[in-house]
Amino acid sequence: MMTKLPKIAFRNIFRNLRRSILSAVAIAVSAMSIVMLFGLLAGMEADMANNLQSYYTGEVRIQHAEFEKYKRYNPLHLGVDWKSIEPILADNHQVRAATARINFPANMYLGEKQHGVMGVGADFSSEEAFIDFPSILQEGRLPQEGKNEILMGFALARDMQLGLGDKVTLLSTTATRGSNAFTFEIVGIAGFPVAGLNANSIWAPIDRVQKFLGMDGQTQEILLLLEDGADEKQTAIQIANEIESKLGTATDTRSWTELNMFYGMLRIAKIAYYFIAMFFFVLGSTVIINTTMMVIFERMREIGMLSALGMHGSELTKLFLLEGFFISMIGSAVGVIIGYVGTYYMGKVGLNFTEAFSGMDIEISSILYPQTSILTALVVWAYAVVISTLSTFIPSRHASKIQPVEALRYV
Amino acid sequence: MKFIFSLAMKNLNRYKRRTAITAIAIALGLMMFIIVDSLLLGIELESERNLIWYETSSVRIHQKEYWPDRLLFPLEEGIENPQQVINLLTENGYTATKRTMFKADMILYSDDFGEDGNLSVMVTGIDPEQDNRVFHFEDTLVEGRFLNKGEQNGILLGSWLAEDIKAKIGYWVTLLTRGNGGFFEAIDVQVVGIVNCPNPNVNRTLIMMDENTAGAVLGMDGAVTELDILLPRGADVDIEVTKIQAALDAAGLSELEARSWREMAKDYVAIAETKRGGTAIILFLVFIIAAVGISNTMLMAMYERTRELGMMRALGMKDNHIRLAFMFEAGGIGLLGALAGIVLGALGNIYLVNQGIDVGFLLRDMDIGYRVQSIMRGTWSSKSFIITFVSGIALSMIVSLLPIRRALKMDIPACLRHQ
Amino acid sequence: MYKKISRLQKLMILTILLFCIPSILFALSADEIIGEMDRLSTFETTYSTGSIQTTDRFGTKTSQFKSWSQGEKDSLIEFTSKAERGQKILRTEGSLYLFYPDAEQLIRMQGAALRQSMLGSDISYEDMTEEKNTLDNYTAKLEREETFKGNACFVLTLTAKSRSVAYPVQKIWVDKQSFLVWKAEYSTAQGRLLKVMEVLETFKSGERVLPKQSKIEDKMKKNSATLMTIDSFEANPHLDRSIFTLENLTW
Repeated sequence: MMTKLPKIAFRNIFRNLRRSILSAVAIAVSAMSIVMLFGLLAGMEADMANNLQSYYTGEVRIQHAEFEKYKRYNPLHLGVDWKSIEPILADNHQVRAATARINFPANMYLGEKQHGVMGVGADFSSEEAFIDFPSILQEGRLPQEGKNEILMGFALARDMQLGLGDKVTLLSTTATRGSNAFTFEIVGIAGFPVAGLNANSIWAPIDRVQKFLGMDGQTQEILLLLEDGADEKQTAIQIANEIESKLGTATDTRSWTELNMFYGMLRIAKIAYYFIAMFFFVLGSTVIINTTMMVIFERMREIGMLSALGMHGSELTKLFLLEGFFISMIGSAVGVIIGYVGTYYMGKVGLNFTEAFSGMDIEISSILYPQTSILTALVVWAYAVVISTLSTFIPSRHASKIQPVEALRYV
Repeated sequence: MKFIFSLAMKNLNRYKRRTAITAIAIALGLMMFIIVDSLLLGIELESERNLIWYETSSVRIHQKEYWPDRLLFPLEEGIENPQQVINLLTENGYTATKRTMFKADMILYSDDFGEDGNLSVMVTGIDPEQDNRVFHFEDTLVEGRFLNKGEQNGILLGSWLAEDIKAKIGYWVTLLTRGNGGFFEAIDVQVVGIVNCPNPNVNRTLIMMDENTAGAVLGMDGAVTELDILLPRGADVDIEVTKIQAALDAAGLSELEARSWREMAKDYVAIAETKRGGTAIILFLVFIIAAVGISNTMLMAMYERTRELGMMRALGMKDNHIRLAFMFEAGGIGLLGALAGIVLGALGNIYLVNQGIDVGFLLRDMDIGYRVQSIMRGTWSSKSFIITFVSGIALSMIVSLLPIRRALKMDIPACLRHQ
Repeated sequence: MYKKISRLQKLMILTILLFCIPSILFALSADEIIGEMDRLSTFETTYSTGSIQTTDRFGTKTSQFKSWSQGEKDSLIEFTSKAERGQKILRTEGSLYLFYPDAEQLIRMQGAALRQSMLGSDISYEDMTEEKNTLDNYTAKLEREETFKGNACFVLTLTAKSRSVAYPVQKIWVDKQSFLVWKAEYSTAQGRLLKVMEVLETFKSGERVLPKQSKIEDKMKKNSATLMTIDSFEANPHLDRSIFTLENLTW
C-alpha cells in the first residue's frame, strides 16, 4: 500500500485537472510575483547605488586628509592636487575611471534677486564614465572648458525662470577665505535623476571654477570607479598609500561603503524594501494556504470514501501531502520560470517611467532595470513548495481524523 | 427577486465554512493590499512627513516681506501679535504654534568640548508646550529632557549635530547672535536634551530653545518670525492655505502670508526618484496576487456547487434567476470579505501609522556611523480603501460568473453527476 | 564746511586749543570729546594704501588695498593683492556695492548681508559702513581718565540709543591731546566682550594723529585677529567726484 501512495497521489492530480490547475496557478502566481519583486528591488537598489556613485561618492573618493574635519567651514583651500595624482591613478590597473570635482555653495544673483545654489566644478570629459550627460541633457549642450558656461538643473531653471543664453552671477567664498563673483552663461539644462541636484545644482567647467575660487590646479575631491570585482576598501587603502609614498601627502581616501551617510541611507532603503518583500511572502502564503485548504475541504466525500475503504489516517495525510507536493513543485517551477524570464526581459528593456511622471514635478528619464538572480529564484521555488505542502498538512490531518460517515455526508 | 436574494443569503448562512474560508481569502488579500499600499505610500511620503513633522509643518505664516529674505532670517519682518493670530486660527479649527528662527554663531569651549571652536548655526525658538501639538520632536528625544516653558538657558540639539561637535548633556555653549535691529547679543546656554530626528537636514542642524527667552534676547517685543500650522488629517493643503489666507485677510491681517509646505520645500532632497515607478509595480504585483487568491478561492467555491446548481435547474428554476442567486451569494461573500479586509486593514494601518514597524533590529549589527531612523510608518489613503472595497466585491461577482456559466451550459444530469 | 576752514585757520585753532588745554580739559563734556574725535578722523578727501592681515583657524593671509574717501559717507576700496585683484567695494550714502572683475553684475549688499565678514577678516562690511557721527547712535558718558600705553586718555562708555547699532556698548580710550581712539572694546548690553580694537602704531597727517596699524580681535573666536595697516596716506587730495559713482565701478 505504502509504495502505491505516490502513484495514487500523482493520478489524483489528473483526475481533477481543473482543481489541480487552479491550485497550481495560485502557487505559480505567488512565486512569479515574488521573483519579479526581488528583481525589481534589486534593480531599485542598483539604481540608488548607481546614483550615489555617479553623483556623490564614486566607488572611491579622495579628499584632503583634513577636509572632513573642517567640512562645515567649507574649507576650499584643503584640496588635492589633481595633476600629480592623476598619473598615479592611471598606473593603477584597478581604477577604471577617475574624475575631479569641486562642490561649492554659492549665491546666485539675478538682478536684485538672489538664490542659494550648489555649484559643481566638473571635468566634463572624464565625467563621461560617471554621468551620462547626453541622456540627462534636456536642452542645449555641455559647458566647454575654458568658458564661463554652466549646465543647470531643470527645476532650478524653471523656478528662476531661466533659459539657455541667460546669464547669472555667482558669488562665493574662495579658497583664500575671500569672496569672488563670476558671471556664467547657461548653455545647457539637465534633468538629473536626483531631485536635489535638479532643484539647486549648477555645473561649470572645473578650470573656470578653479579660477573663480582661487584653487589653482587643486580640486576638492577625486572620484574613482573601479574595475569589476575590485575590492573597494582594499583599493582605497592601496591608493592612499601610493599617493602618500609618491607625493608625500596624506589623503582621506575611502570607499563609498565607508562614507557612512550615503551608504547608510542605501542600507535603510534596502531594509524598507525587504520588509515589503516580507509582506509579499505573507500574502503569497495566504493565497497558497487558502487554495490548498479549499481543495481538501472540497474533497471531504472522497476522503470519507477512502477511509471507509480502510485507508489509515496517516496514509490519508501522506496521500494529500504528496499530492500537494507534486502540484506545488509544478506550480512553483512554472511561476519561478515565468517570473525569471519576465524579470530578465524587463532588465534588458528597462521599465521606462518617464511617461508616467510627465505630469509630475520630476520630468526626468527614469528607467529602472530589474535584476535577475538564480539564487533568489531557487529560494522562492523552495519556499513556495514548502509553504504549499505544509498548508495541505492541516486540512488533510483534519480530514484523516473525521469519521467516514461524517465525511461522506459532506456536500 | 426578493426570493432570489433571500435564497442567496440563506446559502451564505448554510455553508458557513465555505463562506468563511472564501471571505477570509478575500479579507486577507484586501488587508494585505491596504497594508502594503499604506507602507509603500508611507515610504514614499517619508521624506514629506519628515519635512512636515520636523521642518516646515503643513502651513506656515510669515510676514509678507519675510519670504524673499528668508535665507537671511530677517527678525525685523516678524509677526507682532502671534497670540492673536493663533487664537484666530484656533477659532477656525487649526492647531498653530509660534516659532522664532535666528542665525547665531555657536561658541564651544575647551572646558567641555576639549577644543575651542565656533560654528554658524540656526536656532529655533519654540513654545515648548504648544510646539509638540504641531511638530513631533518630543517623540524623538533620546537623551536628557525636553525644554520647559520659559526655560532661561536650556537648548536641545539634533543628535547628528551633537555627535558632530561631540556635545553631551550638561555642556555649556554660547550663542552669539544679532538681535532685531542688528545689535549683538550673546547668551550662555546648556545642552539639556538631544533629539534624534528622522529628518537628516534637521538632525544635522537642529538647535532649539524657549521662544520667550529667545524673544527677550533678540529684542522681539513679543513678535515671532513664524507661525506653524498643523492641518487635520487628509486635508488638502492648497485649499487650507487659501482658507487660512482668507481668514487672515478678513481679520485685517493681510500683511501676513500663509504658505504650504510644498512651496516651502521645493528644493528638498530625495535620493532616487525612480523608486516611485518601482512602488507602482510592487503595488501592481500585490494586486495580482490578491486578485488571483480571491478568484481562485471563489472559482473553487462555485465549481463545488455545480451539483447544487443542477438540482435547482432540475426543480425548474430559471437560469437567469439561478445566475442572479449565485452572483448575489458571491457578492455577499465579497462584501463580507471586503468589510473584514477593510476593518483588518484599518486596524493594521492604525498601528502602522501611529507606531510604525521598528526595523532597527535589522540594523543592529550594521555600523553606519550615525544612529538612524529605523521606523517604517504607514499612511492613510482613502483611495486605497475604496479601491479594495469595490474591487473585492466586483472581483468575487465577476469571477463567480465563469463557473456558473459553465454549469448552466451543461445538461442537468451532467451537473448532478459532477464531482 | 571743511572747505571754508583754511589750513592756516586750522593751525590757529589747534594752537589755541593746545594753549588752553588745562582749562578746557575739565570743561570738555563727553559729547564734546566724541565730537572732536569724529571731526578729527574725518577728512574732506583721502587717498591711502595699506593691507589687511587676517589670522584665523586656517592660518594667516594678507590682502593689499588702495582706498579713496570723501567726507563721511563715500568711500571706495580696490584690492591689489593677487587673490582678489581688481575687486572693489564702493560705499555711498546708505549703500554698499561689490564689484568683481569677472562678474558682469554689481552686487549690492544690504540688510543682513552687510553682517558678513569682508575677506574672511574680523571686519564686517557693516563695520565699514558705520556712520561716523557717533553721537547720533550712542549716548556718551565720561567714565574716568587713564593712561593707556603712556598716553593720557579719556575713558568713555558709549551706550547705543537704538537696537539698530551692532554693538550695544562701546568702551573707548580717547587720547586727550590728539583725540585718537587708542583702544575700543565692543560689548553686548550685558557686558560680554565681543571685539577689541587697539591701535599699535600711529602716524601724523598734518596735525592730526591717525592709526597706522591697528589690531582687531574677535573675542568670541580663539586665534582670530585682523591687522590693518596704512602704508601711505594722503589727506585732501583732489579727487574726481565720479570716483564714487556706480558707472565708475565698472570701468
